[in-house]
Amino acid sequence: MTDIGATQRPAQAAGKFDWAQIRRRIENANAAFERAVAPAASEKARILKARAKALAREPDRAARAELSLEVVEFVLAYERYALDVSFVREVHPLKDITALPGTPTFVAGIVNVRGRIVSVVDLKRFFDLPAKGLTDLNKVIILDDGQMEFGLLVDAVVAVHRLALSAIQPGPPTLTGVRAAYLQGVTAQCMVILNAAKLLADPAILHNQ
Amino acid sequence: MKWTIGAKIGSGFALALIILLIIGTASYTSTTRLVDTARWVAHSHLVLQKVEELLSTLKDAETGQRGFIITGEERYLEPHTSAVIQLDKTFALLKELTEDNPLQQRRLEALAVTMRARMRTLQQNIDVRRSPQGFEGARQGILSDKGKALMDELRRMIAEIDAEEDALLAKRSEEASATAATSKSTIVGGTAAAIVVLSIFGFAITRNIARPLNDICSIAQTLSTGDLDVKIPEEDRSDEVGSLSRAFARMIRTLRDTAAAAQSIAAGDLRAKVAPQSERDVLGNAFATMVDNLRRTMSELLEAVSVLAVSASEILASTTQVAAGAAETGTAIAQTTTTVEEVKQTALVSSQKAKYVADSAQKATQIGQTGRRAVEASVAGMQRIQTQVESIAESVVRLSEQGQAIGEIIATVNDLAEQSNLLAVNAAIEAAKAGEQGKGFAVVAQEVKSLAEQSKQATAQVRTILSDIQKATTAAVMATEQGSKAVEAGVTQTAEAGEAIRLLADSVTEAAQAATQISASSQQQLVGTDQVALAMENIKQASAQNVAGTRQTETAARNLHELGQKLKQLTLQYKM
Repeated sequence: MTDIGATQRPAQAAGKFDWAQIRRRIENANAAFERAVAPAASEKARILKARAKALAREPDRAARAELSLEVVEFVLAYERYALDVSFVREVHPLKDITALPGTPTFVAGIVNVRGRIVSVVDLKRFFDLPAKGLTDLNKVIILDDGQMEFGLLVDAVVAVHRLALSAIQPGPPTLTGVRAAYLQGVTAQCMVILNAAKLLADPAILHNQ
Repeated sequence: MKWTIGAKIGSGFALALIILLIIGTASYTSTTRLVDTARWVAHSHLVLQKVEELLSTLKDAETGQRGFIITGEERYLEPHTSAVIQLDKTFALLKELTEDNPLQQRRLEALAVTMRARMRTLQQNIDVRRSPQGFEGARQGILSDKGKALMDELRRMIAEIDAEEDALLAKRSEEASATAATSKSTIVGGTAAAIVVLSIFGFAITRNIARPLNDICSIAQTLSTGDLDVKIPEEDRSDEVGSLSRAFARMIRTLRDTAAAAQSIAAGDLRAKVAPQSERDVLGNAFATMVDNLRRTMSELLEAVSVLAVSASEILASTTQVAAGAAETGTAIAQTTTTVEEVKQTALVSSQKAKYVADSAQKATQIGQTGRRAVEASVAGMQRIQTQVESIAESVVRLSEQGQAIGEIIATVNDLAEQSNLLAVNAAIEAAKAGEQGKGFAVVAQEVKSLAEQSKQATAQVRTILSDIQKATTAAVMATEQGSKAVEAGVTQTAEAGEAIRLLADSVTEAAQAATQISASSQQQLVGTDQVALAMENIKQASAQNVAGTRQTETAARNLHELGQKLKQLTLQYKM
């Protein structure tokens, strides 16, 4: 259905409401709805066929020829970051976070992941990023390098990518501060690859643990 | 003794009186005698007459007897019968008359005897006639001549008496004439003497009295005509004429003085004074009073004339102003008349307009009625709209709630998609960790992720659509709310319109009434203006008359002014 407000105005401008037209549109919409909800068998067959075709595609081989890095892309404060997948254990949706008193500000709290207590770090606070888009923080990327384990509070996890090492560039010189320390690289799409190992080894976070 | 006129005249009269007395006495005497004599004469005549009567009576008796004897009728005896009666009477009378004459008495007695005899004779004859002898017997009786002899005797005796009486008569007549002659001579003589004496006396007195009196009389007559140019009579006599002359002289002098004073007053000199002759001098007092009054009056008149002159000039001035004002008034009235005419026209127009307004108001009232009904219908329609709008709102709200349910479902689906996504990511991570062996799993994970993505897209689309629907429902609810408010406002406005229409209808009705009243009063105004116009016409005419009248008044005032001036001039000629 299109914007109802837009359809109303021309009718009012005409001075007379075309009730017949409205009823026709409603009927058409209802019919379409019925068709969509319970499609006919032919329709079903067609859809399934299309999907099968799509699935039958060859995977991207070119990408395997090069040396690549598998990263997990995520969004944080409207910026796209990535982390080496080898240090990522899992991605967990944020349900309940318990704030802990007496912890540094970048520690958002603790969560319960299938019975385990994991502390969650707010990267924004950690990197002193402007705290905007707070409500989107609903994903926790659990980093684990065998010794240290903590979660990163992110807005959204996009996907797992296989990046060619050639595509990774070092960060711009202008980037200073905390982020610079943890920067592993930048892609052409302006995706910042963070050094997960450094994060895990960070003494500040360690101290908290 | 003072020979007053009275005395003079008295003496004259006394003389006349004496003479008169003498004459009178003489006359009286002779007349008495004459009368006496005449009486005796008359007496004699009477006797003679009676004797004659006697004779006649006797004759009558005879006649009666004769007639009776002849006819034997009783009625022929009447003379006799009456003669019998008459005879005695006459005889008695004769006897009475001749009482003084014894001779005649004797004769009469004798006569009486004879008469009786005769009468007896007659009677006898009558008796005889009546008796059976009748006529012949009577005739015989007559023929006996007894009666005749008696009758002749009677005649002789009567003749004697007559003769006697005649002689007496003659004597007496003679006496009478003698007496008369004496009287006559006495009278004549006396009269002559009287004439002489009296004429002498009269002449003297006349001369003495009448002439001066005549003079005075002529003076008085001249005076009575007003002519004072008379000779003042001499005043040296001592009798009444003298006093009269003196009094007249004084009177003349007084009159002349008064006349002179009057003339000087007539000439304008009011200073003249005339002294009254005495307290009782009516004319003099009156004249003096008159002169005083005249002087006083003249001075007052002078004052009054001055005042009059001043007032007249003031009146003239103010009358001139009034005349001018009246002329102005006339002009103003003419203008006012014109204005009134215009007003009349205006009133006419106004009346017509008012009528027109009244008609229009009537129509407007009806329109108001229609409007009110329309408003009521409109309110009913609005309420229906309200009901429909409310039902729309309810449907939309239900729709919104359904959307809410859809949203929840979408949220759930999205959650599922998210979880699927995470699952896919975790799977990819595991696949990546697994290395080569995990590639197939990576594909699966990728598919799962793709499915999750599609789900998410679908849910995103659904959410977008849902948000659109919510916006639309919100918009619809708002629209219906606004519609409802609009309907409420419409109802309110319609109610207000209805109220306004009602008020309008009311005010139109009032206006209609007022217009009708205006129309009526316009009519009256028209009538009144007509009357005013008429009245203005009248006023104009009256004003014109007024102007003419004031002009006349002005003329009169001018005349008055001139009169005042003249009067002033007049009064100034009097010296006081």
